[in-house]
This record gives sequence, C-alpha cells and structure tokens, in this order.
Amino acid sequence: MFFDALAALQEWAPIAALRNSRWTYASVNAAHIVGIALLFGAIVPLDLRLMGWRRTVPIRTMVRILLPVAVAGLTLALVAGLALFSIRAAKYAATGLFQLKMALLVCAISNAFLLHRAVQWETHQAAAGVGPPLRLRVAGALSIGLWLSVIACGRMIAFVD
Amino acid sequence: MHMTRRLTCAAIAVAGTALFMTSGLAHHGWDWAEGETFELTGVIIAAQLGNPHGLLTVSANNEKWTVEVGQPWRNERAGLKDAMLVKGVEATFQGHRAKDKGKRVMKAERVIIKGKLYNLYPDRD
Repeated sequence: MFFDALAALQEWAPIAALRNSRWTYASVNAAHIVGIALLFGAIVPLDLRLMGWRRTVPIRTMVRILLPVAVAGLTLALVAGLALFSIRAAKYAATGLFQLKMALLVCAISNAFLLHRAVQWETHQAAAGVGPPLRLRVAGALSIGLWLSVIACGRMIAFVD
Repeated sequence: MHMTRRLTCAAIAVAGTALFMTSGLAHHGWDWAEGETFELTGVIIAAQLGNPHGLLTVSANNEKWTVEVGQPWRNERAGLKDAMLVKGVEATFQGHRAKDKGKRVMKAERVIIKGKLYNLYPDRD
C-alpha cells in the first residue's frame, strides 16, 4: 500500500519530468543545498550561544535574527528534498541510510520544538552574562549533533547502492 | 575563555570527522572503478533511467550485472534514446568495472547496439 503510493508518486508527470530534466534537476539539487546552508548556518551560532558561548549577547537578540532564517532554510530544504526523494521514492524509502536520515530529522525537529516549549526557553532568553541552564546546553549540543548527522546521512545516500 | 577554546576545538574535531567520513567513500566519480577497460555483452532485463543516474540490469553469461549509464542529457547527447534501453535489447557495454570483483557493477563509457556505437564520454579513453 505504502509502496504503491510511492510508485504512483514516482510516475506523476511533474516528477517524471524532473527525473528526465537536466537543469531543473540541478536547480532543485542546488535549492536543497541552499536550504541546508541557511538552516545549519543559522542554527549553529544559536546552539553555541545556548551552550554558553558569548553569553553577553542576549539569546533573544540572536533568536530574532537566526530563527526565521533557520525556519526558512528548513522549509526550502524540505520542499526541495521531497522533490528529490520523489524521483526514486520507492528506492529511497527502502534504503537504510535514508530511513536513518528521516529518523534523525524527526529527532532534530522535535528537539527544536521541545526546546521552544521548555520553561527555560522563555525565562532565560532575557538573561545575559550568566551561564545558561543545563536544559539549554543539552538542547544546543543535541541540535548541532543531530543536524550534522542528518547532513552526513543525506550526503552518503549517494554513495551506497 | 575556556568555553571559547573548548568550542573551537570541538568545531574543528567535528569538521575533521565529517571530512574523514566523506573522503573514504566513492561511488560518484570514477574512483570506485578500475583503470582498465572492461567489456560486457548481454541482454537488458530491467532499466531505471533518469536522474540522478541511469541503471540497467543486464543478464550476461548467466550473471546479473548492473550497468551504470549516463544522466538523461548525457544519453541524449550520445544519441541513446530511452526506448533503446529497454528489456530484451542486446547490447555491448565498454567502460570500467568496480574494483571490488565481488560486485558485478560497471560504469559504461560506450554502448554498442546492433553494431552502432554510442559514446557517452567522447572526451574519455
């Protein structure tokens, strides 16, 4: 059932066209990378701050700039990534490394959501100059590790059969 | 200050690990294939064409081979049409096989169908 749906997705006309195109495919590929660059480039400075680096800079100030950029990057990466996945949906869905990447992606996004809802997130945002609570340090370190793992898995999908 | 130094070290370690992890693997490019030219003649039993690259399953000498052909634009440039790379077509593939002899995988540089040569890589030997 699931694989029937994936097979249908693969044969959908716009996806079939993308599979046979040259520059459109290359552009979607590039968009996926730009999305990742925006997301990772914005989230790492924020994570480092959460871990206690440059604690004289208020977290709230960094969040105002970096969070929208990270969300925009994630959205772009997800949309382009879905298109790239659709080209060989059944094959990727059956690839262990792709499944691992999706699991890590869910963990990384959950980590961000849970942090956003944590009590410490609100209470500590205005504080500057003091060490962040453990909750924020752990979330920051997890975030860097998880996103790095998602990127590594994604890149390596092209190198396995 | 300590935190800064520790974080810088951590960042360098992470970047180094990422580089190490990606440099050892090679399926893209040609590093995974051997230098000598390899030739395979057989019958196509399945085709999966299009981006990111085309794969043919070929039955040759009672063995099942995977033959990597070009992306759509490369096949088209060589004059190869998707309709020519379908089940039942007999073809000869020249190129390079995987260094790992346990794998029946090759990357085709040239395809010969019914005596006609289609060169996917005119600028390679």
